[in-house]
Amino acid sequence: MTRPGYAQLQDVILDPDFPELDLALRRGRHIDRDDVAWYALLGDAQDHLEAFYRRYGCELVHKPDGYFYLLPTGDKLSRRQLAAGDMLVGQALALLYLQPSTVERAGRNTQEELIAQLAAVMGSDALIRAFNPKRRRYDERVAQKTVRSRVGEAVRRLAGLGFVELLDGEQLRLRPALMRFAEPVRGLSEPAEALAQLVARGEIALAEEAGTGPGANDATAEGDAEQGPHDEGEGEGDDGDLDDEHDRDDGDSP
Amino acid sequence: MIRLLVAGHEAVADGSLGIEGCGGEGEICARRVDLAGASGYRAGTVSAPRSTPERVLAVIAERRLSLELGTLDICFLVALHVHGEAAGLTAFTEAQLEDVFAQASAVAQPEADQLRRRATHAIQRLRDQRMLARVDGQGVVRTGEFALSRLATGIVQFFLEEDVLTRETLGLLTHSLRIAITSVLEAARRAGDPAAWQDGVVGPLRVTITELVAGIERRQRGLDLQQEDFQAEIRRLLEADWFGAIDRCQDLLESTSATLRELNEVLLRDTSVLLGLLHDIEDLAIAAGEPDGETAAHRLMDQVDRIAAWGSARQRAWSEYFQYVHRYLRDVVRLDPTRALMQRLRDQLAGSGRRFALAYAGAPPIRLVRTVAAVPERPPVVRPRAPREREPEADAGQDPQAVLDSKVSRALGGGATALSVVTGEVTAELQGPERFVEAGRVAHTVARLARASSAIERPWVPVGDDLVIEDWSIRPGAVGAPVTAGAAGDPGSAGSAGSGGQAARRETGGGPGVDTAAGAGPARVAEPSGISGHPGNPDAPEAPPGGSR
Repeated sequence: MTRPGYAQLQDVILDPDFPELDLALRRGRHIDRDDVAWYALLGDAQDHLEAFYRRYGCELVHKPDGYFYLLPTGDKLSRRQLAAGDMLVGQALALLYLQPSTVERAGRNTQEELIAQLAAVMGSDALIRAFNPKRRRYDERVAQKTVRSRVGEAVRRLAGLGFVELLDGEQLRLRPALMRFAEPVRGLSEPAEALAQLVARGEIALAEEAGTGPGANDATAEGDAEQGPHDEGEGEGDDGDLDDEHDRDDGDSP
Repeated sequence: MIRLLVAGHEAVADGSLGIEGCGGEGEICARRVDLAGASGYRAGTVSAPRSTPERVLAVIAERRLSLELGTLDICFLVALHVHGEAAGLTAFTEAQLEDVFAQASAVAQPEADQLRRRATHAIQRLRDQRMLARVDGQGVVRTGEFALSRLATGIVQFFLEEDVLTRETLGLLTHSLRIAITSVLEAARRAGDPAAWQDGVVGPLRVTITELVAGIERRQRGLDLQQEDFQAEIRRLLEADWFGAIDRCQDLLESTSATLRELNEVLLRDTSVLLGLLHDIEDLAIAAGEPDGETAAHRLMDQVDRIAAWGSARQRAWSEYFQYVHRYLRDVVRLDPTRALMQRLRDQLAGSGRRFALAYAGAPPIRLVRTVAAVPERPPVVRPRAPREREPEADAGQDPQAVLDSKVSRALGGGATALSVVTGEVTAELQGPERFVEAGRVAHTVARLARASSAIERPWVPVGDDLVIEDWSIRPGAVGAPVTAGAAGDPGSAGSAGSGGQAARRETGGGPGVDTAAGAGPARVAEPSGISGHPGNPDAPEAPPGGSR
């Protein structure tokens, strides 16, 4: 699988695209065919790069759906996990990706369609609860606004990881890496068994390990515990708390 | 039901939405139709031909032009069109209109009654919107005959006939276009006067060839619509028969891809030839000084370029879509023939099973260590404690007169016996103007500190190179005595006035009296301060005391 131009690892490293690709992989980016140059480089130098990243305690994963990503299996490279809210949004996007209506538009969807999908599958109340997990009472209007806001943030984070591409306006283009969200239910085996296998491979972490609630977020397992790009700390003021809202908004709430 | 623009009492005239080419330059004009009672319409241009779409739109908005057609109206129009073509009719009598309406109504509104009354209203609606035109011209003499207007025909054709670009139609059109442009090129070569250019070149370019190019563009739009239909068809097939739809989807993709590929090949091949011919016509028009021909050729070249660009863009877009659908069919449909994945994923999202989180590499950005540059320590900003304004302090300073007194005393003490000697010593270090002024002060001081005497006619004695003064003699040891005037007794009564009654002149250029203070002569000795001023030097604070020239 190594083309003549990449006879040695040195040739790969000397490729002008390699530095950017390497940084993107180390930051969790998923590379698919739409990243034409990077995907070609990964495909041509896969053998060299697999050995290369193994020395860093990572596995360069190539999925049959047509995408690559780097999965830390040791402690040399930081490993992170998606927050619960990002997981919900990612699974809804994966569901959209599978639907024939998306095929008609060549993978394009809007954020509104995404929220509608979430509401249709989870139910509006469960959706609001999922994105406002610690609120006993909430103003419906503010809570819905919070949901839209949090979904938008999640989409932006997932775009940074190569799961979707942000187009003009509210448009999204879904990418093959979204199929990672469907991995536990994809095989013929039972989901629990598939989950156990994925956990054993380090592909996923179960909820207890990852934390609970959409705000629990993205725990850095080891390495440099730098603050992630998506802090969703609770109680920051815009989160639909009825009491807080009453304090701030006199007469506007129903 | 289709509803175009806004409702009102005006309808659009012939042409789609009332906008049509008006004139050879392709100006767009809007026509209006006034309802003139029940008798019919008066059609006329809204205004002079317009060149900008904004103005046309403004006129349409201002006139509140509208089109409003329900499903029954469209069915009625289509039925008229089909019936006319089948029976070879160019016009319909009122009875025929009612019969055709009955057929349309039976399909669109089978349960509706009062057929004749509704037919009357439908015919009137179409007349109001200029879909039906009375063509017999008999007015109230007898029942009329009606024909579908161009607007109605256009609407019917839109729904009935979808011109789609195929390899055959495109090949035929480009071939016809090539023949027509070649003949225009020949005409351009032969044309010798403006009339020949107009008839043989400009006219065909604007009408015949433009129509052919527009025919290609119309079919391109048809193909675009067909592609959209294909995409929707693929979705419907997958929704209806998931795994079984794969072959049909692939057939649709392949057929459209092949069509686009062929069209693009034809376009790439023929558009270059067409552009070459049009370029030749443009060159001939420029050489002949025919701006109309040049403009027409140039506009057609733009249209042909647009056609070629359309082909490339559509093929590229379809290629992306083709790849996307093929990946979907391979990765999603073939791997999940029972469509179970979607349901399981839906269940997972709804909350069944254990929750999990995907892991990914999260290396922090590389920290680039920069060269340390010493930051200069700036003193802290503090409020000044000392008062900004200082109290004035007494300063004795140095009395210039005392300095002068000491210098003069020193000269007198040194044995000077003449004013010129004292003046020479005291003013030795001064320059011209200062020296001239200082000479007066010296005389005044000498008169105060020593006893001086002079003859009535005092001699002019040079002091240095640039100063001449009237000299006094000074008696050593006598201090404070007034100046005396020799034989005339004691001139000190006048000289004691302060300036010593002395005169001086500054030598410039060597000529005596050129730069001399006024008041020379003995009379001036008595009024020394009045001699101040220098005609050539207004800045002089004071003239030498005493007579000076």
